[in-house]
Amino acid sequence: MVGKVGRVTGTIGPGRTGEVVISIRGGTEAFLAHAVESDQTIPQNARVVVVEYYPPRTVYVAPA
Amino acid sequence: MSPLAVIGGAAVVVVVLLFLLFRAMWRVAEPNEALIISGFHQDAVEGVAESLGFKIVTGKGSLVMPGIQRVRYLSLDANETELDITCVTTQGIPVSVKAVVIYKVGDDYASISNAARRFLDKTQDELEQKIKNVFEGHLRSIVGGLTVEQMIREREALTEATRRHSGEEMQKLGLVIDSLQIKEIDDTTGYIKNLAAPHAAEVQKQARIAQAQADREATEQEQQAEALKAAARRETEIKKAGFQAEMDRAQREAAQAGPLAEQIATQRVVVERTKVAELEADRTEQQLQAEIRKPADAEAYRQRTLAQADRDSRISRAEAAAKETELAAAAAAQRTKIEAAANAEKVRVEAEAQAGSVEAVGRAEGEARRARGLAEADSLRAQGLANADAVKARAEALAVNQDAVIAQQLAERAVDIVAAAAKPVGDIDNLVVFNGTDGIQDAVMQSISKGFAALQALRATLSVPVTGNGTSASPSPNSKERAPDGLGVGPGREV
Repeated sequence: MVGKVGRVTGTIGPGRTGEVVISIRGGTEAFLAHAVESDQTIPQNARVVVVEYYPPRTVYVAPA
Repeated sequence: MSPLAVIGGAAVVVVVLLFLLFRAMWRVAEPNEALIISGFHQDAVEGVAESLGFKIVTGKGSLVMPGIQRVRYLSLDANETELDITCVTTQGIPVSVKAVVIYKVGDDYASISNAARRFLDKTQDELEQKIKNVFEGHLRSIVGGLTVEQMIREREALTEATRRHSGEEMQKLGLVIDSLQIKEIDDTTGYIKNLAAPHAAEVQKQARIAQAQADREATEQEQQAEALKAAARRETEIKKAGFQAEMDRAQREAAQAGPLAEQIATQRVVVERTKVAELEADRTEQQLQAEIRKPADAEAYRQRTLAQADRDSRISRAEAAAKETELAAAAAAQRTKIEAAANAEKVRVEAEAQAGSVEAVGRAEGEARRARGLAEADSLRAQGLANADAVKARAEALAVNQDAVIAQQLAERAVDIVAAAAKPVGDIDNLVVFNGTDGIQDAVMQSISKGFAALQALRATLSVPVTGNGTSASPSPNSKERAPDGLGVGPGREV
């Protein structure tokens, strides 16, 4: 999971819960996403890379 | 029976039994299922921190020892739940929201493990009911965090709110929300309708303006066309009237031509007749001249001459007569003069005699009259004395009983007094009263009181002690006039 590149489908920002879509397990799955740096805003359709994964459904991402 | 056949038969039976055993022990997970195999302890798998204790198999088959291991199927299907809630938005507007949520168990081991521990025994319907209850609460808080406009217009805001409000719990349950769609927003306060109202009104206004403008332009054009039409009609009518007038005039002239010609002819006839008449008159005159005038002239001349002769004779006659008369008159005059002288003498003498007699008569009469007068004077004096006595007596009586006498006297003369007092009032043309009925009352009171004041004055005058002079006590117009001036009258005077 860590190191996979995904695409933002819901804007990630401070105080918001964003969404990224990652290609995994043969299909694409949506994860609740937050930015690694807490004041960063990552807009929709930006490419991100998964830095940390907290199961079941939360990832921390950084812009790719 | 050969041992080979027995062994062969046993081998076949064994193979068949093994096959059947395998069939009984091998479980295959379909793509939308996860096998939950518990029995043997399972080591930790990748992506999961600690050991699950049971085995999760997705997408492939696994051998399950019957009796030792148990296998359960967890559906990874997408489920749909309809939500119907009544709540308030962040602005406090009550709305009733219908939504549909599509969820499934997550595909990663942690989600499947969470879900398996909670929902393995539940049927689909029970699961759906549980999720519906939970999610209605989530939807309430999602709607409470948005405004109506955001819900209608901003999809992004809705999905983000969904993630924010429900994400954690869904992770706890091992579920994943694939989609949350609001099917219907119904607000009882008319808020949504009012959102549309300004825009709708604006559009309506534009439509009406455009319509009115088009209408106005069309009407302008119509009216212009009407005006032009009317002008054209006017032109034709004027022309027609002109032609009609010409026609009428020609007709009338033609109509008149006949009588005109007749009249002209008649005129000529009359003129000729007049000429004829003139000639006739001339002729008659000539005739007259010859038949009458000439002989008449002759006759006149004859008469004149005769008259002249007559006159001459008469003149001389008259002269003679006049002379005669003159002489006669002179004689008569002489005679008369003599007569008159004689008459005069006669008369003078007569008169002297008469005068003597008259004088005597007059003297006698004068004597008589004087005597008469003296007698009258005596009688008058006597009368006067009697009056004076009477008055004195009255005055005495007045001194004793003034009021009765005065009253009697005043009563006798009351009418005259009042009339005299009222005379000035009667002479008034215009009475202007400034204070209305009170003023009129005052005026009347004043008039009355003036009269009464006069009476009072009279009474006062009359009640002077008798000094023996009767005239001072007699009522006269003078005293009446004096009294009001001297006393003066005011409102509320006691009378």
